[in-house]
Amino acid sequence: MTTGPGRSQSEARGDEGAGEILELPAASSSTAIALDELELVYAFIYARVGNRPDAEDLTQQVAMKAIPRLRPGAPASAIRGYLFATARSVLGAFWSTRLGLSESELHEDLAMAVPPGPPSEEPAERARRVLESLSDNYRRVLTLRFLHGYSLKEVAAEMRSTVGAVKVMQLRALRAAAKVRLDE
Amino acid sequence: MSEGSENRVDRIVSDLLRGRRLRLRGGDADEKEAITAAARLVAAGQGVQRMHPAFRKRMAQALEAAPNGGWLTRRAALVAGLGVVTGVAAGGLMGRAMEPNLSSYVPAPRQVSPANGRWVDVGALADFVDGQATRVTAGAIGAFLFRRGDTVNAVSSICSDLPCELQWNGGTHVLDCPCHPASFTPAGAPTNKAYPLPSLDLVSARVTDAGRVEILGT
Repeated sequence: MTTGPGRSQSEARGDEGAGEILELPAASSSTAIALDELELVYAFIYARVGNRPDAEDLTQQVAMKAIPRLRPGAPASAIRGYLFATARSVLGAFWSTRLGLSESELHEDLAMAVPPGPPSEEPAERARRVLESLSDNYRRVLTLRFLHGYSLKEVAAEMRSTVGAVKVMQLRALRAAAKVRLDE
Repeated sequence: MSEGSENRVDRIVSDLLRGRRLRLRGGDADEKEAITAAARLVAAGQGVQRMHPAFRKRMAQALEAAPNGGWLTRRAALVAGLGVVTGVAAGGLMGRAMEPNLSSYVPAPRQVSPANGRWVDVGALADFVDGQATRVTAGAIGAFLFRRGDTVNAVSSICSDLPCELQWNGGTHVLDCPCHPASFTPAGAPTNKAYPLPSLDLVSARVTDAGRVEILGT
């Protein structure tokens, strides 16, 4: 739904290489680098909260917490690592505060490796694999609802069912999807 | 909570599919796995997301606001820049998150001022134990009342983040929210500095000349 600017300067130069030193000669350049990194953070967070307002809030929290603690000349990999460590912490606090999730229940996020480069199709690929592992009915209801954007009524018509039954099936399918553990 | 799990989860799913933020209520925690799975699926269905141009621009302005462009080490300048963003999102989580000094910032509490309010007697001052909370009601107003010597103060009994009735924890002397890990001091301030929540609303309380405690209720 949202689209941002095209490839940034740093992406084009391939500045993400581990161990490289980030040079910060001018304000515009350092800002561009910061924004590139925050783009990765934003995509990471969005893939987990599924909506723009929360993703923007949390990305700003990450910037607020992490950027003042970074140092010029730090390796790019270290800067990214710190940003994502902060992002995981902010996400953890978000879910913990909103839902009462314990840290052990957030293990998937906590164990997630730092993305090596620009936002990838990883979340979509992961979702596809999760859906593939579900039963036909569960996969169908989630695919229609989440990937095709069908309303409950439309899903019910498509599946020759009732809205109430689809609601229950949607809940059960989401519970089943949450239990899927993919081999990374 | 009479609303079934399937209805509560679908409400959240519908919000997410419309691009709205996660608005969670008491009881939603029971379906935390389903809700987090829904959020991931919604995101996956929308493909890789990049910052909205307007948001990216605000972030860039905040970063550029740092003197000499040295955003990496100039916390104060960054805070000043991001503070502009705060005004745009008044009342929202972002506003709370972007205030200076995140670790100590507590949004200002609001005073409960019921229309056609009236003072309601809730007991004798001597009935209240010093330093301990007592749950009182004054019409539609629910509050925890605290006595300190001859004075009293009261805060709303409802969590400022989720609509749940708080519970007094006599061991730690805080008000705990049963719906999520949030707690508040007797003055109504949130105790989790890492994730600031609004303070509890303040309820007017007074001690009469006759030694009775009254709450401004309905």
